[in-house]
Amino acid sequence: MLKLVDLVKAYRTEEVETTALNSVNIHVRNGEFVAIMGPSGCGKSSLLNIVGMLDTPSSGEYWFNGEEVSKYGERKLADIRKKNIGFIFQSFNLIDELTVFENVELALLYHDIPARERKERVKAALEKVNIGHRESHLPQQLSGGQQQRVAIARAVVAKPKMLLADEPTGNLDSANGDEVMRMLTDLNAEGTTIVMVTHSMPHAQYATRIINLFDGQVVAENLRAA
Amino acid sequence: MLKNYLMVALRNLLKHKLYSAINVTGLAVGLATCVLILLFVRNETSYDRFFTDNDRIYQVAFRAQLPGRQVDHFAASMLPLAAAMKEGLPEVEMTARVIQSNIVIKHGSESFTETARAADPDFFRIFDFPFLRGDRMTSLDEPNSIVLTESMARKYFKDQDALGQTLDIDGVGPVKVTGVIRDMPSNTHFNLEIIRPYAAVAQAMRAIESNWGAVCCETYVRLKPGSDGKALSDRMPAWFKATAPTLNSPTGNVVLGDIFTPRLRNLKDIHTDPVMTSMRPATSYAEIITFAAVAALVLTIASINFMNLATARATQRAREVSVRKVVGASRGQIIMQFIGESLLLTLIGLVLSIALVELALPAYSAFLDKDLSFNLFTDPLLGPALLGLALVVGVAGGAYPAFFLSSFNPARVLKGASSGVGGGSGRLRMALVVVQFAISISLMVATSVVYGQLLYAQNKNLGFEKENTLILQGFPRSTDRARQQTLVEALAKLDGVAAVSGSNSTPGDGSENNTNVRLPGANPDQMLVLRQGGVDWDFVKTLGLQLVAGREFDRNRPADQLPPLADPAQVPAGDTSARSYAGSVILNEAAVKRLGFSSNADAIGKQFEVGADDDGTNKLTIIGVVADFHFRSVHDPIPPSMMIIDRERFSDVLVRLKAGDVQKTLVEIERVWRDMFPNRPLSREFLDDRIQSQYVREAKISQMFAAFSGLAILIACLGLFGLASFTAERRTKEIGLRKVLGASVMDIVRLLVWQFSKPVLVANLIAWPIAWYCMDQWLNGFTFRIDLNPLLFVAAGGLALLIAWATVGLHAARVAQAKPVSALRYE
Repeated sequence: MLKLVDLVKAYRTEEVETTALNSVNIHVRNGEFVAIMGPSGCGKSSLLNIVGMLDTPSSGEYWFNGEEVSKYGERKLADIRKKNIGFIFQSFNLIDELTVFENVELALLYHDIPARERKERVKAALEKVNIGHRESHLPQQLSGGQQQRVAIARAVVAKPKMLLADEPTGNLDSANGDEVMRMLTDLNAEGTTIVMVTHSMPHAQYATRIINLFDGQVVAENLRAA
Repeated sequence: MLKNYLMVALRNLLKHKLYSAINVTGLAVGLATCVLILLFVRNETSYDRFFTDNDRIYQVAFRAQLPGRQVDHFAASMLPLAAAMKEGLPEVEMTARVIQSNIVIKHGSESFTETARAADPDFFRIFDFPFLRGDRMTSLDEPNSIVLTESMARKYFKDQDALGQTLDIDGVGPVKVTGVIRDMPSNTHFNLEIIRPYAAVAQAMRAIESNWGAVCCETYVRLKPGSDGKALSDRMPAWFKATAPTLNSPTGNVVLGDIFTPRLRNLKDIHTDPVMTSMRPATSYAEIITFAAVAALVLTIASINFMNLATARATQRAREVSVRKVVGASRGQIIMQFIGESLLLTLIGLVLSIALVELALPAYSAFLDKDLSFNLFTDPLLGPALLGLALVVGVAGGAYPAFFLSSFNPARVLKGASSGVGGGSGRLRMALVVVQFAISISLMVATSVVYGQLLYAQNKNLGFEKENTLILQGFPRSTDRARQQTLVEALAKLDGVAAVSGSNSTPGDGSENNTNVRLPGANPDQMLVLRQGGVDWDFVKTLGLQLVAGREFDRNRPADQLPPLADPAQVPAGDTSARSYAGSVILNEAAVKRLGFSSNADAIGKQFEVGADDDGTNKLTIIGVVADFHFRSVHDPIPPSMMIIDRERFSDVLVRLKAGDVQKTLVEIERVWRDMFPNRPLSREFLDDRIQSQYVREAKISQMFAAFSGLAILIACLGLFGLASFTAERRTKEIGLRKVLGASVMDIVRLLVWQFSKPVLVANLIAWPIAWYCMDQWLNGFTFRIDLNPLLFVAAGGLALLIAWATVGLHAARVAQAKPVSALRYE
């Protein structure tokens, strides 16, 4: 699915250059559920941003579905992203002005999908995360767990091949956190590749492989039995 | 997708009511101001375009360079010019002269003095005025015909059909109404009410019919199709020089072609070419461009509000933009979304502005005395023009926020609360506030200077007493000097009258009569031109002129009275003595300087020749000098002038009233007039009213300028208020912390107010030099002008600062008074 070769990401300010990722090599196969762990500032989010094509590496290669994408421009990356990748964030990032239904529908609006089909797919996605009964509510009328379920529905409604989750349970209590992890496991079982950044060891246990980062480098990889 | 954009836009508008209200109100007021100004500009630039052949109709205008006088421009010409043009210039198809000739119409037991025009029969063939009744092509063919506007027809014939009816003109007899035309629209330079054939006045004009030196009528020409008017205009000076005869004056030969330079003004350009004319006052392109610029500046201010508030609120939209990007929106799509939002807001503003324009238009039209129309259903261009305006404003205001908002880095925004917005946008916002206030301060300065100049013009010492001075006109044509003298004596006996005199011209009447003079011993080519006024005894006293040397005319000194002129027809050929005269003259100070005397006192007793023979026997002796006084607008230079006691008759009687029961005196004056001229209506006017009327248009233009400048400032303040409230909101946590650390309410208010004082102070530095340069250039167009006072600039800047403080201060005080704990909980 994706392969990172000697990937480097450095941030430069006026005086200081900080290396967030230092020669990272990672290979994620189709259908894998990978958890990335590490202390704050180790480069987890930088890695996820590059994998999600929200950012580009300073050097190294990024192969996605057999295509080297590290030198692609914003327009091309936006196109690949739109067709292949779904995102889940710690802070849900729902749009306050849109209802639950509209928030999920947003992910299909840039895909040239007819309105009728959009409606069906949104409803199916909401049912899948058990939030269909709140489709006309606004985000601020929902609990944190409910909001994250909406965010998951939005992430999967366009049927992405890969789902990137950035601490998806970070803002949730344990019951809601477990619920979200079960949903991700189900999605993975249905064939979606998942890359998840987390601080929670119990939640990392849901993944098939755990990659540990420290100071921008991969320091350990633990393959878990599926 | 569009539905989604629209939904998000509308919900955002409703959620952030203050910002929406500020933006929509600013845009609505800005667009309404712009539309009102553009309606004015459209009217001003549409003059006379409704005449079918406007492309090939021209008026002859002259540049006159009289010896010793400043260059003058006027639209009047000489009577023989039209026929000469038709004969000598093959491009000319038709010509028509128009000359003012006031008439008295007897109607039942009443008489009315009316301003009429006499025109050649081709006048209505050249100008296709809409005829409601009668035949346009033949309406002026008969000498006893008359054409009326519908208002005039209604005045004399009520609801009856005026065509074919007769009107009784005093001194002429019955004339037949041969046409009724629509009243003049507001967008024509003509101010016609009654038009008679030139033949009706030909007899009265006989003396100057072939005089190339008497400038008295407007001359219009229609060129043959395909003729090049510009080329013909360029040829006119040479043709005129070759055609106009050289006048053989006793003081030297006058080559008219050296003095008068003719040109052709296309009909469409007459209103925007301000020269002296007897028709409606003209505007200038500079004035039109100034107003168009004010419209653009007002819209710029409204657009800046939108840009500032949109970028200031960017953090609130950052997450939405980032999520859209994450789910696949390209930057182009985000840009289109935000430009679309800007357009939506502008369209809402446009709808409101249309309502504002509809509300303001009746009063605005009445104020400008114009029939401005604003009808989306009958004016096919208006709708597209308004939409085009909204499109320009929407895109101009929305483009920068759209590019700015679409540049967010979604990775950073979605990870934390940061919008990825650098400090650059904040600096840009302040720069835009500087631009807004620079415009506002410049407009404030401009308004003050325009008003200052107007007040100066209205209140300038004119060199005579304009208060309590009455001008009487309307003598029957047959009135002779003796009857006028009787009237003057009768008026002088009235208790309420302080002084009475007569004159052939009075201040503000636009008349011009010049004569050639020469100092004794000077060469014939050292001719000088003085403005000549024929006056009666006590003129200096009655008008309140200030005698600075010598004395006034004295009725007890025979030498002051000029002998009557012999009728030229009775004078044997070659006998110049009958046309000679000698007498006394009073000069103004400009004439003293022009004639080269070292001082006013030095001029007293000196002589110069006027229309005299080469041997210098006919001399005028200077008996007095008066301080310079303004016969025309104070915008015009004061010409060197002389006054002599008129030998024939005068056109106006000047009456200086005593303060007190003026109404009673007016009734008595009416009675005296009626006793002497029972069938002749008295035309009377207070001199100060006439002087004031010279500035009506300027006063209106000044008021309009002030109103639009005020609106511009209001819109700028709206934006500032929005920005201040945004800043206060953004700095809530900081304010809370400062209060926890001991800051008082005043400290906080000062903090916020100072933040917005800086751009206003910087705006002054930009506005002052620009406003100084522009207004100095504008004032240079006036002969008599005010000086630019630096205090005015400081005051405008200070006022802008006060307005900014008031706008920001109240809001800051409210924020500063909030409990710090609520501020700290904010995030």
